[in-house]
Amino acid sequence: MPVLEARNLTYVFPDGTVALSDVSLKIGDGEFVILAGANGSGKTVFVRHLNGLLLPAQGGVTFDGVPITRNLAEVRRQIGLIFQDADSQIVGQTVAEDVAFGPENLHWSRDEVERAVERALAAVDLSGLSDQNPHTLSGGQKRRLAVAGVLAMNPRVLVFDEPFTGLDYRGVVQVLEQLVRLREAGQTVVLVTHELEKVLAHADRLVVFDRGKLVEDGEPADVIGRVETYGVRRPLKNGGEMGSLTWLR
Amino acid sequence: MAQVIFLRYIPGDTLLHRMDGRLKLLCLLLLSVAAGLASEWQHYLALLGVAVSALAAAKLPVWALLRDWRFFAVMAALILVANAFFIPGDPVPFFPFAAVSRQGLVAGLRFAGRLLLAVMICSVVMGTTPLARLRDALEWCLRPVPLVPAARVAMMMNLTFVFVSVIMDNYVEMVCAQKSRCVESCKNPLKRIKYLVLPLLTQTMMRTDEIVYALEARCYSEVRTPASFGTCRADWLVAGVCLGVLAFVILW
Repeated sequence: MPVLEARNLTYVFPDGTVALSDVSLKIGDGEFVILAGANGSGKTVFVRHLNGLLLPAQGGVTFDGVPITRNLAEVRRQIGLIFQDADSQIVGQTVAEDVAFGPENLHWSRDEVERAVERALAAVDLSGLSDQNPHTLSGGQKRRLAVAGVLAMNPRVLVFDEPFTGLDYRGVVQVLEQLVRLREAGQTVVLVTHELEKVLAHADRLVVFDRGKLVEDGEPADVIGRVETYGVRRPLKNGGEMGSLTWLR
Repeated sequence: MAQVIFLRYIPGDTLLHRMDGRLKLLCLLLLSVAAGLASEWQHYLALLGVAVSALAAAKLPVWALLRDWRFFAVMAALILVANAFFIPGDPVPFFPFAAVSRQGLVAGLRFAGRLLLAVMICSVVMGTTPLARLRDALEWCLRPVPLVPAARVAMMMNLTFVFVSVIMDNYVEMVCAQKSRCVESCKNPLKRIKYLVLPLLTQTMMRTDEIVYALEARCYSEVRTPASFGTCRADWLVAGVCLGVLAFVILW
C-alpha cells in the first residue's frame, strides 16, 4: 500500500484558474520522488494538498490508506513540508527556539522537546548555532534550519518545495547532502524542483506537471528525454549518464 | 536587516539573560510606570542609572544600539521642540528664540527623557530575552485574566515581533530596488509613498499567507508544551531594585 495517495485532485483558484486538474499519484514508503514542471504548472499547489494545507474541489488524499482530513494535525506531523521561502517558516528568535516550535505544538513534554531539538539540529549539522538568530544564517543554513524544524516532529514523509532556489553552490551542496542522508536513512522524500541536474541522480521516480496536469510519471531515465516538451530543461545530452545528474562529488 | 539589533535577542550568558521571564516582565512594568511618573531630575537620574547599569550588566553592544536608537532620538528632539514652542509660559533668559517657554522646555525634556528611557529599558529586556521565553511569561501572566485567550495573545505578540523584522527586510529591499530605478528623481512625495506603500502592503499580505501556511504545516496549536520557569535569588534582587526605583519616584 502506498504511504501517500492523491486521487483525482482538482483545485480551482477563487479567480477561476484551474491549478490542478484530475491529478492522481501514489508514493511508496521510502521512495524519493521528484516533481518537476515549469513555473505555474501546479507543483506547489499539489504538495500543499498532501498535508491538507489546501483542500481540493474534487478528489482527495490518503495517508496510509486513511483520508488526511480525518486527522489533519497528525497528518501534518507525519508529512513535513519545507517551504520554498525558508524565511516564512521561521517563527523563533533563536535557532533552537524555532526548531522547538513544532514539538511544542504537539504538546510533548519539555524533556521530549529538548531531545527532539538536539536530535534535529545534530541531523542537519546546526548544533553549534542553537543560540543564533535565524535571520543571520546563510541561505543554506536557513534551509537546513527549516528541515530541522520539520525533522524535530519525526515525520514519515518529507516534502521539499524548491529547496535549491536562491542558494549558491555551497548552499545547494549542503542541502543536497542532507537530502541524500535522509534518503539513505529510508525517509520518504518528495522534492519539487525544475533544476533536475542538481539532484535527479538520487531519485527513484520523476513526475512531470504541465498546466495543472500530471503528464509524466516513471523512472528518471525513461522520462528525462521528454521533459523539454513541458518547459523543463533537459540536463542530459544523448548518451549522458543519469549518475552525473547531481551536484555532489 | 541583520545589522539592526534593536528589539532583537542577542545571545549571552549574563545575569539578565538567565533571569526569569516573568520577573523580567514585572521589572519592565515597574520601570515603565516609574518613567511615566518621573518628574524631578533626580528621578530621571535614578532611572538612567538603572538603565545604563542594566545595559552594562547585559553586555549588549551599546554602539550598535546607539545607532539603532537614532530614530527615537529624532522623535525625542521633535517632541522637545514642539513642547518648547507650543506650551505657553515664561521666556527663557538669554535664549535666542523668544517663543520658547521655560515650562515648555521642561515639559519637552520630560517627555523626551521618558521616551528615551523606555527605549533603553525595552532594548535591555528584548535583547536579553528570547521571544519564546517572553511569550511564555506573557501567557503565564495573562492566564488568570478571565475572557483573555492567553495563548493566542502571547502567540500574536510573538508573531508580531517576527513579522516586523520580515516587513523591515522587505522595506529595505524595496527602497534599494526603487532607488536603483531612480525613484529619487520623482519629486512628488505622494507618488513616492504610493510606489512604496502599495507593493509593500501587497507583499506583506502574501507573506502573511505564507506564514499562516507555515504555522499550519507545523501543527500550530494553542495547547502547547507548558513552559518551565526557574527563579533564583538574583532575579528577585533585580526585581527589588526596580521596585525600589518606583518607590523612590513615587515618594521623593
